[in-house]
Amino acid sequence: MKASTVISGRFDTKNSQSIETYRKDGGYETWSTVLDEKRDPDSLIDEVKASGLRGRGGAGFSTGMKWSFVPKQTDKPKYLCVNGDESEPGTFKDRQILEFDPHQLLEGVALTCYAVQAHTAYIYLRCEFKLGIATVKAAIKEAYEAGMFGKDIHGSGFDLDVSVTIGAGAYICGEETSLLNSIEGVRPYPRNKPPFPAVEGLFGCPTVINNVETIANIPHIIKNGAEWHTKLGCPEDPGSRLWGISGHVAKPRWVELETGYKLQDLIDGPCGGIRKGHTLKAIIPGGSSSKVLLPDQVARVTMDTPGIRAEGSSLGSAAIIVLDDSVCMVDAVLNLMKFYAHESCGQCTPCREGTPWVVQVLQRIHSGKGRTVDMDLLLDIAHNMEGRTVCALADGACWPLTSIVKKFRHEFEAKIVAAPSATSSKVASA
Amino acid sequence: MIKLSIDGREVEVEPGTTVLEAAATLGIDIPHYCYHPDIGVDGNCRICLVEVNGNTDKLAIGCKFPCGEGMEVETESEAVVKARKGVMEFLLINHPLDCTICDQAGECPLQDYSYHYGTGDSRFAEKKRNKPKHVEFSEKVMFDAERCILCTRCTRFFEEVRDCRPIGVENMGGKSTITTGPNGPIQDPYQMNIIDICPVGALTSRDFRFKQRVWFMDFADTVCPGCSKGCNITAGSYQGKLLRFVPRRNTEVNASWMCDDGRLSYDKYNMPERVRGASVSGDPASFDAARAKITELVGDGQGVAVLASTSQTSEELFAVREWARTARVRDLWHGERTWESDDFLKQADATPNTAGAQALGYASVPSQAPELRGLIVVGDVDVPPALLANLDFLIQQAPQAGELGEAAVVLLPGRNALEKNGHWTNGDGAVQEVRAARDPGPDVPEDWTIWRDLAGVSWTSIAEITKAMGAVSTADAEAVTAS
Repeated sequence: MKASTVISGRFDTKNSQSIETYRKDGGYETWSTVLDEKRDPDSLIDEVKASGLRGRGGAGFSTGMKWSFVPKQTDKPKYLCVNGDESEPGTFKDRQILEFDPHQLLEGVALTCYAVQAHTAYIYLRCEFKLGIATVKAAIKEAYEAGMFGKDIHGSGFDLDVSVTIGAGAYICGEETSLLNSIEGVRPYPRNKPPFPAVEGLFGCPTVINNVETIANIPHIIKNGAEWHTKLGCPEDPGSRLWGISGHVAKPRWVELETGYKLQDLIDGPCGGIRKGHTLKAIIPGGSSSKVLLPDQVARVTMDTPGIRAEGSSLGSAAIIVLDDSVCMVDAVLNLMKFYAHESCGQCTPCREGTPWVVQVLQRIHSGKGRTVDMDLLLDIAHNMEGRTVCALADGACWPLTSIVKKFRHEFEAKIVAAPSATSSKVASA
Repeated sequence: MIKLSIDGREVEVEPGTTVLEAAATLGIDIPHYCYHPDIGVDGNCRICLVEVNGNTDKLAIGCKFPCGEGMEVETESEAVVKARKGVMEFLLINHPLDCTICDQAGECPLQDYSYHYGTGDSRFAEKKRNKPKHVEFSEKVMFDAERCILCTRCTRFFEEVRDCRPIGVENMGGKSTITTGPNGPIQDPYQMNIIDICPVGALTSRDFRFKQRVWFMDFADTVCPGCSKGCNITAGSYQGKLLRFVPRRNTEVNASWMCDDGRLSYDKYNMPERVRGASVSGDPASFDAARAKITELVGDGQGVAVLASTSQTSEELFAVREWARTARVRDLWHGERTWESDDFLKQADATPNTAGAQALGYASVPSQAPELRGLIVVGDVDVPPALLANLDFLIQQAPQAGELGEAAVVLLPGRNALEKNGHWTNGDGAVQEVRAARDPGPDVPEDWTIWRDLAGVSWTSIAEITKAMGAVSTADAEAVTAS
């Protein structure tokens, strides 16, 4: 397990959010060099591609690859949208960047825009990030004043405008096409894909959408080169990530670590182990939309894309939710499913109707009116939702649900056996 | 062209064709709720899922998925049927299932697809969600949020077709509902189209609701007589009484739409008060006697003119013209009636067949009308008062006599626009078939038979006139017959 300070190096510095602090560390030098040397934009895309950087938002798609989908020849303007709608339950990593070191994000924004030849960038932040919004706005002002943004930057002929757009607090707006609709000012239903945003995104124009942490990595990769990045952590999924650990550990926290470490080491080391007097029951490793891991899986899993896939789960937004033996898994999954039912945008039938139904069934089980058929019913409802909708919200609801029902079936059965109505296969007919 | 296979059958389509459209060319109906050919694709209902190239994890939506070369599509595979059953179940768990009192029953895709993909039993053991049930969207449209499946056809109709947003989706997830929000009642003069495109009984017509179960009704595919657009309609009636007009899709004329004014005009064609049988000088007479009187009055035809309604079919006008030729009546005029037009479907000419009348040689009434001895008024037409001065005689053949009736020496019955068969030519030159939607009852023969008998021609059917007319009227032959 290798601690790292690529992203978080300045977080503890006084006035870490100011441009002076950032420039003292060589901040914006990469951006200035790229402009002064009139670097070929494609060379930046190639650099990021070669770095092996995967998106930090949840899906883990290759960032360089995503950029390369933006058409080179087009009459339309191109846009960059930075996704700072951080709302995946358990996730609090982007918030650190926004509040403590916004300028590395802004330099990343500049470099990304240059790479894909976009001249307008929107930084989309959830409204609850009051401090983050104020900090980023102040940083943008500083960057303009320092001549890093604006017209004809450094006499290069390259124009760039950056602004903050504030979301109204819906989880769905973190879905990239929903985010685009939110910026456009229409109801933020996710869009059908294809067309993908790289081809037809914001206002129908080619658009790159990247997570805050992804963009914050860009200045480091351009400065230090792709090869440097490939040597961080796991070779198949290199890099340094901010991990947020919440739940029943002695020390809930964020920590920056290179990929490829053992989850057990993180829990036992920086997090101080499971809280006193309790034992580990399960870990949801990548934000609430990932499949739950059992203690034996936690003991062997390495935290990188191939490692976590081998255990059937995903890194997601690197939000590690630790559950100890005090947790009732029926209760836990009910809590999660309430979130998805509440945040379903309501566009697609399976998610709109399926997520509240799951909540109703779980509530019934939880209140002691469960039936033996309910576990299979839950799995089948999930089957009818997963992969059947426009976006991945329904999938994100199904993965924790199905994994918890399958791995903790005995806890559901215990609730049901204890219930007086358990022998009846039907409670009432609809 | 792109070649692909759907359910094992080869099909060739233009690039850009969707799977749903390609399947339709093979006669394969892929179920759909949110997709509507005249509004476009949205992709929210998820009932049109199909399997492409054996991928059962992620099924594609047929309404949006573009056909690709060599693609293999399955529309009834195990995974597809499972997914559709799932979607049907999702749609029904919170649906009130109040078909017994729902106006949509009998013409409801939710019922129809339930028949195919429903399980017949419910796994839903929870309490159904309650939503507002009697929401007045306007004086014309009623909304029931519990029946709504949130396909958003209605909101998209206004956005895509009418360029306005009087309604929208409120709230999120299962609580989502359609609302007028702060806008107040819908004002749009085409708003009732959302009732037709609503695939369930969520939007109902306040005019038609609770009047009749559709399966007891009779339907005629005809054309709206309200203006020269000639919107294709299906006229619904029960025991001879018209109860509603709904638009019938014709991409060349009205797509799937019609104006509310036209739609709500049906009742005037029920005509409880009307001309029945012939009369001469105010006294009931036989048709033979009436015809003899007309022949006597018209004489050599000098100083006599015909003023015909442009709601008459071309066949009827042709029959009148045949009689006029034999009677040596030279002046054939058509009436005019206008209303306020708009920039969508509604035309200023408030009659359906002006173009047809003109093609048959009927002219506008001249501003300096020649002095007339006699005038023959045919059909529902407004007569300029100047024509009535100094007349020796007036002959009227019309469904309703109106103010002229008392002055007419000979009064003959006529069929109204919803009781006719034949053709109308709309303002764009489309010749469209008109079919009777109701029977006027006794003593109202078809208009053309009256003039046939006067002219002494031997036609035995409308079809014969249509054929005969084709030989003399070139304007008709070039036009497209749309249905």
